[in-house]
Amino acid sequence: MRAIPVKKVPTAHPEAASTLAVVVSSNEPLLFLTEDQTVIAASSSFCQAFEIDPATIPGRRLRDIGSGEWGLPKLTSLLKATASGSAQIDAYEIDLERPSQAARRLVVNARRLDDGDKQRVRLLLAVTDVTDMRAEARLKDDLVRDKAILMQEVQHRVANSLQIIASVLMQSARRVQSEEARGHLHNAHHRVMSIAAVQKQLSTSKAGKVELRTYFTQLCESLGASMIADTDQLSLAVTVDDSAVDADVSISLGLIVTELVINALKHAFTDQSKGRIAIDYSSTGKDWTLSVSDNGVGLPTGDDAPKPGLGTGIVEALARNLDGTLTLSDANPGTVVTVSHRGAQQRHASGPAA
Amino acid sequence: MFKGEAVILIVEDNTIIRMSAVDLVQSAGYLALEARCADEAIYILESRDDIDLVFTDVQMPGTMDGIKLSHYIRERWPPVKLIVASGKAILEESSLPQGSRYFSKPYNDHAIADAIGRMLSKDAC
Repeated sequence: MRAIPVKKVPTAHPEAASTLAVVVSSNEPLLFLTEDQTVIAASSSFCQAFEIDPATIPGRRLRDIGSGEWGLPKLTSLLKATASGSAQIDAYEIDLERPSQAARRLVVNARRLDDGDKQRVRLLLAVTDVTDMRAEARLKDDLVRDKAILMQEVQHRVANSLQIIASVLMQSARRVQSEEARGHLHNAHHRVMSIAAVQKQLSTSKAGKVELRTYFTQLCESLGASMIADTDQLSLAVTVDDSAVDADVSISLGLIVTELVINALKHAFTDQSKGRIAIDYSSTGKDWTLSVSDNGVGLPTGDDAPKPGLGTGIVEALARNLDGTLTLSDANPGTVVTVSHRGAQQRHASGPAA
Repeated sequence: MFKGEAVILIVEDNTIIRMSAVDLVQSAGYLALEARCADEAIYILESRDDIDLVFTDVQMPGTMDGIKLSHYIRERWPPVKLIVASGKAILEESSLPQGSRYFSKPYNDHAIADAIGRMLSKDAC
């Protein structure tokens, strides 16, 4: 075949006008080439993306367009293989280097178009510039990693802070003369540890939810370790379903359990050495029930008698905070304190139903 | 042991936490020594031979963290017992020298005192 002068569209095999129109108007940068890699047409999007004058393209070899940057050896050999039918380029990544410009990362796709005429094998080369997309993905990865590191830092600081508070309370308890004051400081220490237990669980939980079974078990182990001398005599039994709740809810529930267990240990077994405290929690949909029961001395008689477990007012306040109903009853033997929440309850006149 | 009392070396960079740990150890009836980092701890261990147990934090400034320090101490002074504490919720006890205990912060004072008691009584002949 004789050499065809540049700048003239090859007339030996005229392309269908519709084909050229489709190529030129393609949204994605697209090149329409002959088997020997002469560019027949380039999409406007290609010319714009890669800053090549559209008039200089048709009839030029791929390696000659622009400033010759498209003469990438790898691209050339892949297109050759595509033309011969022995390969098809699918999402091949390649770097485009242009003088005094940063390299661009490209993803190229090539197809061989064959309508049966061996003289008319054509190639379609689609080029996508993914440089910015890749940079954004790397940035996102960096941010995710930085966030993970930051979270670990925060977790460490919180653990240290809680340690300081817990230790200071214990130190004060050791020094204080009055038994009553020491009791208060020990209680305060337990409350801090119950919050610390939530913190620990959150640091390892995936969805930011606290699994109540693990939490209450740890909480009771901690309370038992400091308050029960002989676990054969006094025991804490935890029965919880698979419920997992938000941190705030778990903190409130944990504080209620701490309060009720401490009070049971102080008041329920005054005239007996053996006893059992049971902590139960279960939920169905938006309804949940928490109960702390003991098999000790039971409720004191008379209306004026102080109600065990509720003396400090903390439990009432927390139950209210959780939109729960607090009930106190005889377990015969012993006492049971229940906080129950029914999702359908409308406790407030204003506001929509739950 | 020093004059009949067990000697515990506390390694912790946070002053308040270190003071509380000293208080914890003393209230349990032991002698407390303090170091702010691994280098100080090693210096103290080199200068006396009566230290029975080292109670160390993990995150510390300096050449070594608590985990590396615990391995170093096991290498050089095998009889010294080790307790490691950290802000991490979980640490593989397998990454610590054999027989050492790990507690996550905030630790329960009673639990630490109990652990010290048990570890020290193990080598009472």
